[in-house]
Amino acid sequence: MHIKALAAALALALPLSATAQEAETLKIGALVTLSGAGASWGQGMKNAAEIAADEVNAQGGLDINGKKYKVQVVAYDDKYQANEAVTVANRLVFEDKVKYIIGPVGSAPVLAIQPITEKNGVIVITLGFTDKALDKDKKFTFRPNVTTVEVAEPQITWLVKSQGLKKVGALFPNDETGHQIAKDLAEAYKKAGADLAATEFFERDRVDFVPLLTRILSKGVDAIELDGNSPTTAGLIVKQAREIGFTGKIIRTGGPATQEIINVAGPDSTEGMFVHTPVNPDLPSTKAYADAYAAKYKHPMNGFSPAFYDGTKLLFEAMKRAGTVTDTEAIAKEMEQIKDFPGALGNLNWTGQEVYGSNHQLNAPFYVAEVIDGKEVIRATCTVSGCE
Amino acid sequence: MDWSILIAQATVNGLIVGLLYLLMAIGFTLVFGVMRMVNFAHGEFYMLGAFGAYFLTTTLGISFLPALAITFAGAVVFGAAVEWSILKPFRHDELNGMIATIGLAMILQNLALMFFGPDPVSMPSIARGATRLGQIAIPTARIYVVIFALAVLCALYIFLKKSKPGRALRAVVEDFEIASIQGIRSKVYYPLGFGIGVGLAAAAGALMAPLFSVSPFVGAAPLLKAFMVVILGGLGSIPGAAVAGLALGLVESYSSLFLSTSTADMLIFLIVIVMLIVRPKGLLGQGEV
Amino acid sequence: MSTVSTSGAKNPACAILGLIILAALVVFPWFSGPFVLHLAVLTAINIIVVNGLALISRSGQLSLGHAAFMAVGAYVAVILGQRFGLPFFLTSVVGIIASMVVALVLGWIILRLRGVYFVLVTFAFGELVRLVLLDFTDITGGANGITSIAAAEIFGFKFDSRASMYALCAAVALLTTWMLKRLFNRPIGHAIDSVAVNPALAESTGLSVHRLQVFSFVIGCGLAGLGSVLQAHYIGYISPETYNTSISVGLIVMLVIGGRNSVWGPLVGAIVLTPLPELFRGAVQTQHIFYGAALILILRFLPGGLSSLPGVLRKLTGKEAA
Repeated sequence: MHIKALAAALALALPLSATAQEAETLKIGALVTLSGAGASWGQGMKNAAEIAADEVNAQGGLDINGKKYKVQVVAYDDKYQANEAVTVANRLVFEDKVKYIIGPVGSAPVLAIQPITEKNGVIVITLGFTDKALDKDKKFTFRPNVTTVEVAEPQITWLVKSQGLKKVGALFPNDETGHQIAKDLAEAYKKAGADLAATEFFERDRVDFVPLLTRILSKGVDAIELDGNSPTTAGLIVKQAREIGFTGKIIRTGGPATQEIINVAGPDSTEGMFVHTPVNPDLPSTKAYADAYAAKYKHPMNGFSPAFYDGTKLLFEAMKRAGTVTDTEAIAKEMEQIKDFPGALGNLNWTGQEVYGSNHQLNAPFYVAEVIDGKEVIRATCTVSGCE
Repeated sequence: MDWSILIAQATVNGLIVGLLYLLMAIGFTLVFGVMRMVNFAHGEFYMLGAFGAYFLTTTLGISFLPALAITFAGAVVFGAAVEWSILKPFRHDELNGMIATIGLAMILQNLALMFFGPDPVSMPSIARGATRLGQIAIPTARIYVVIFALAVLCALYIFLKKSKPGRALRAVVEDFEIASIQGIRSKVYYPLGFGIGVGLAAAAGALMAPLFSVSPFVGAAPLLKAFMVVILGGLGSIPGAAVAGLALGLVESYSSLFLSTSTADMLIFLIVIVMLIVRPKGLLGQGEV
Repeated sequence: MSTVSTSGAKNPACAILGLIILAALVVFPWFSGPFVLHLAVLTAINIIVVNGLALISRSGQLSLGHAAFMAVGAYVAVILGQRFGLPFFLTSVVGIIASMVVALVLGWIILRLRGVYFVLVTFAFGELVRLVLLDFTDITGGANGITSIAAAEIFGFKFDSRASMYALCAAVALLTTWMLKRLFNRPIGHAIDSVAVNPALAESTGLSVHRLQVFSFVIGCGLAGLGSVLQAHYIGYISPETYNTSISVGLIVMLVIGGRNSVWGPLVGAIVLTPLPELFRGAVQTQHIFYGAALILILRFLPGGLSSLPGVLRKLTGKEAA
């Protein structure tokens, strides 16, 4: 009798003591652009990490081998500058002692901080578009968003075939991302059988594209490609192209926030525009995330945000599988082994061995949509292998 | 595409953009003419004008022309207040005054960032689509802006030539000492000059808000263009700004036909530097250097 | 802008106290964590660069293109080092000389201009340099910049740790400050100051205003090159955006707030303003509003900058006729 009572008391006491025990804090750094241009990407990434953190904390914390960890996001602004990113990386790694960083947003910042993060075994989940960010020697860097290298070719092949494009013109900002995308697109068009015949680079702050468009149109293009441009710039380009009488097709094979383009250019100019969209808002998992985001932050999410929510969740999963929160080498190895992970974006796998030398690029599904009457209508579903 | 049509199109583009540059620069050169002050915050007043027009038309539903007028008036008052409260100690101190306007620019831009956020917003266009003159297409919205801009410039001209305060301002620009001997009070004319100068910047911002987008960062480009126009045309010379503005627009338009944009930009900077060295007063400028 | 404070050695006790504080500041980073060391390296580099700007300012001109000369020095040094495998010491010297040569050529022509005109030319030059760096992609790497810059290395000793780099940069910073102090105690230094106060008067006493200003400009831009060469080999990455106009503006802010008329100005400005963004890192807009307001207030009420504060306080408390 007594033993039974004792056992019962112990059985009751155990869960009580487990919850009474203080959960340790696991700090995740967010090295993102929170000011200036690029702030909306950075905010989206920081908020994605915070939502993922909230989710696990609501369950009492991240459960690694029975031990619970409360996840805390420590965010600093890098102002989209490589030098600032280095200072922030120093602060996160040596002062705050984090081993995981979400961010940075830009290509130059990620290249600048990799010497510190790779040397100190800090896992970095970055947006940086440059193909130099991932490398077989960079064991700790991962990228959860698809870039031009992944999306351009399948989409362009499909578009060239279905729309019969021959000559394409494009404008790009004169920075590292713009040049990278220009290079990738030229190749993709060539492979698909069309020709990126007219390319113009402009200073990032430019708002008047009429002279550039005049030059492009004089080469007789039947489509204008908008990839590489921010939504506002893309919107201005569309508006001004239509204003000087361009009647051909307009396409954008990369970049989210199509709604903003429609806002700037107006539904008439954007009618029939083909765009890349990284999210299918009707997919239940994506919709759930979008709703959660809008509820917490009171404004709609940035298009890259779901990718970083998934990236953070993949990180947590890798920690669970490796059974540790401190051995980043083991966690990185587990991370790249994860297959068919159910994320907000859909079914997720890592890819990239051929292009980068390591499988640290997330292969999430993406879509080609046509803008009809101011709304995106999905026309094709794509993965790295192709669209249909 | 036929070369003659291309050149004609480039000419039209260039003149329209040149007029916009003129608008951006004219307030800047007025402030320099009256107060010998290089106003680094000029672009931020442009930006505030753009936001003013945006809020008046979208949130309050006022139509465009009254919104423009209200924005201009508001900016004049605000500018005069700023001059009187912050810039007064620097009235005869060119260099320190310029540095003070750098500080002012930082404050204005970051206040705008705090209140409006960094994302651009767009104002509905005044008009859509293109108007065709033969083979040449002109965005209709820009035609409206040209008409309004010319109206603003006419009003400025009449003010400066015919009205008493305007003539007094011109006297101050021509020769400050003689003007003050004649009894023109600096207490009034410094704030007034600064106010009108930045008011013109705000009007330019309001006019261009529907053409391009509106964000706290839109002020940098107009400042740069104003610098260039005013250096080429002469610091303090309004006719100089007019000629230089149109010339700059045309040069940019033509060079983008034949050169890449970055080469065109570099060329223009080189021209500006050469101009400063060879003829620092600019084409039509006055005053010592 | 005319009252220049000579060294505070009027009161030996004051001077000794000042030196003790300075020594403490210099030594303290070695005993703190890597992040403080990192900030200390950046501060030392800023001191070197702003010393250059201060020299130009003391001759009566304000340069809004100082970052462009930083760019020239760094890019020349890095390109020579990476493409031709030349050692750090050699490439740095060549880089600094490149900055000085460009300054000589440009300065000889433009230093005839005064005041705002000079400022505008330096501004236009700064933009031109940035565009050139962006455009000549084959040589400069264009918008992508240049990565993986090797650490500084002198006679086989690699400065690849924060502590050693700090030692190097702090030594150079103190050296340049000391050199400027000595310069302004000598006749040529007094000549430079007099040019700023009243060029016409200086000219009439037989001084060549133009030559003195060119001299200051060339050395000042050389110091910019020196600082940026160290910075490039510390951060390991440079790009055209590292040297844009907002950097030039930031340097002016540091100089004005620190003090344009004292050799300690750049030191004070850099020490105060380099770590300051860390306090504000949650609120960038507030930081910049603070800078803007501080600039205006200092210009208005303390034109000699923070380094003139001891002098002003002394005057106020009537302890000594300054």
